[in-house]
Amino acid sequence: MPRVIYHPAYGGYDLGPEHPFSPGRVAMVLDLLAELGIATRLEAPAPATVAELLSVHDEEFVRVVEAASAGEVGAAAADFGLGTADNPIVPGMADAARWLVGGTLHGARLIAAGGADLVLQLGGGLHHARRRLASGFCLYNDLAVAIRHLVDARMRVAYIDIDVHHGDGVQEIFYADEDVLTLSLHESGEYLFPGSGWPHELGQGMGRGLKLNVPLEPFTEGASYLDALEKVAGPALDFFRPDVLVVQSGADTHHLDPLADLMLTSRDFERVIRAIMGLAERYTRGRALFTLGGGYSPRATPRLWTILYLVLHGLPVPPALPPAWVERWGSVLGEPAPDTLHDPNDPYPAIPRRPEITSQNRGMVDRLLDGVARYWL
Amino acid sequence: MLVREIMHADPVTIGPETSLEAAYALMLERHIRHLPVVDAGRVVGVVTDRDLRLATSRLAEQPFPAGTGVSEVMSGPVQTAHPLDPIESAARVMRELKIGCLPVLDGTRLVGIVTGVDILDALLKLTGVERPSGRLEVRLPDQPGELARLTRFLADLKINIHSILSYPDGEHRGRTVLRVATIDMRTLVERLGDAGFEVLWPPVKPCRE
Repeated sequence: MPRVIYHPAYGGYDLGPEHPFSPGRVAMVLDLLAELGIATRLEAPAPATVAELLSVHDEEFVRVVEAASAGEVGAAAADFGLGTADNPIVPGMADAARWLVGGTLHGARLIAAGGADLVLQLGGGLHHARRRLASGFCLYNDLAVAIRHLVDARMRVAYIDIDVHHGDGVQEIFYADEDVLTLSLHESGEYLFPGSGWPHELGQGMGRGLKLNVPLEPFTEGASYLDALEKVAGPALDFFRPDVLVVQSGADTHHLDPLADLMLTSRDFERVIRAIMGLAERYTRGRALFTLGGGYSPRATPRLWTILYLVLHGLPVPPALPPAWVERWGSVLGEPAPDTLHDPNDPYPAIPRRPEITSQNRGMVDRLLDGVARYWL
Repeated sequence: MLVREIMHADPVTIGPETSLEAAYALMLERHIRHLPVVDAGRVVGVVTDRDLRLATSRLAEQPFPAGTGVSEVMSGPVQTAHPLDPIESAARVMRELKIGCLPVLDGTRLVGIVTGVDILDALLKLTGVERPSGRLEVRLPDQPGELARLTRFLADLKINIHSILSYPDGEHRGRTVLRVATIDMRTLVERLGDAGFEVLWPPVKPCRE
């Protein structure tokens, strides 16, 4: 049984009523699991300490974020990405972020100590936060703090990022690290924030050949996405031989996502999760730490993360959603909530450019594998 | 952006008597393709790896022996740039004269060298992703205040601009390409549309619920 980590204090990571990174998304997942009659055993973490943050973040950055969160906004705040549309200054934001970091770190501790193989952290995934920059809704990088802990425990970590945005913060922090492989699949930076994540970003120094990026065309569909994941992940893990996977399970590759343009369905998302579970079975004896991440469609994200929960627990995915849940969240959202857990069949009109998109994605995968081949000898 | 910001300072030089062989070895050793030829403190020519290869090729009518002095094969007199020249004028000279580098002179003193690759690097810097950001392209009427209207709009939304390029697009319009620090580009595009801006990038998603 996977260990599941959650604390009500995660709900404090709320950047405002209009902000897409809403804690309501996880509330909908927990409510749905309850309505499905699934008894969740949620493990409460402690918030991360400042010392733990400093394992990946710059000291001045942490000081400025903590001060801004406590109401002392200095001139330096803007230099660190604070007070912007994406990262507004909200009282208590640093405390809430430290709860999220603490949760992911707790998962890493369980795995490093041998107390668990599979962990689901029902929050976090703040992959854009950099060493000294808040960015893209992310204050502190919980994934990086957890990965650092695993590396310090002498584990080799393969980080897999299926959020629709490039996992630039995690990549930056471990760019020259030989014990961390990062693989990010995302919509091309030509079209989408943060603009990085190209096949030529292969790492530095001892980390060269261990940072992998697959930028995908807008309107990429599930088959092409899974093809790219399989073509890159297998050879990469064959070469790297990780001890543990850390997975950022953003749900914003879904076709309904308002921020991005990939076209995955809920069934594709389930296939992606199953494929990653297969990688964990094959390469890390099942050791994997999953976090949440982006995912901004209230009609899709809670369903996808519920599917994530069910797949990790080996539970069947029931077809229908409980009417009580549909009604309750329909009234909260002010529009009818979906009534099936999976998307309906053929949920969007056919993509006319599918052959070009597929072939362009294949070319991108080939370019990455060609570029990295000499580092994998 | 000025030539002095992108040039290589204190370039490697040779004298007119330096042999072709020695010049070639120096290029290989330093990983460079252009050598200014300096005589008595003055730049008298430039020799490139191509000059050397053509001069010594077995396919040449009369190949030069390896010990020939570079003054026999160098180009000169030399086109030069000043450290305070804008890079676009350096680029213009290089394109029009079909040359690959410009020695940079302050008075008669050689202070640097700028090559075509340096100009490419500058282009990468101007258009590249130096910080996390999204690409936005807007068509604006070619009138005073239009760009200000756009940047004010972004400022009011607290969206930082990391880079901005603007160029003419037809008779009375301009195209402005920006890198802006927001992950929520779709919302921004919607708001820009509502405010009457013509957004050319990112493209519209065809199938939306």
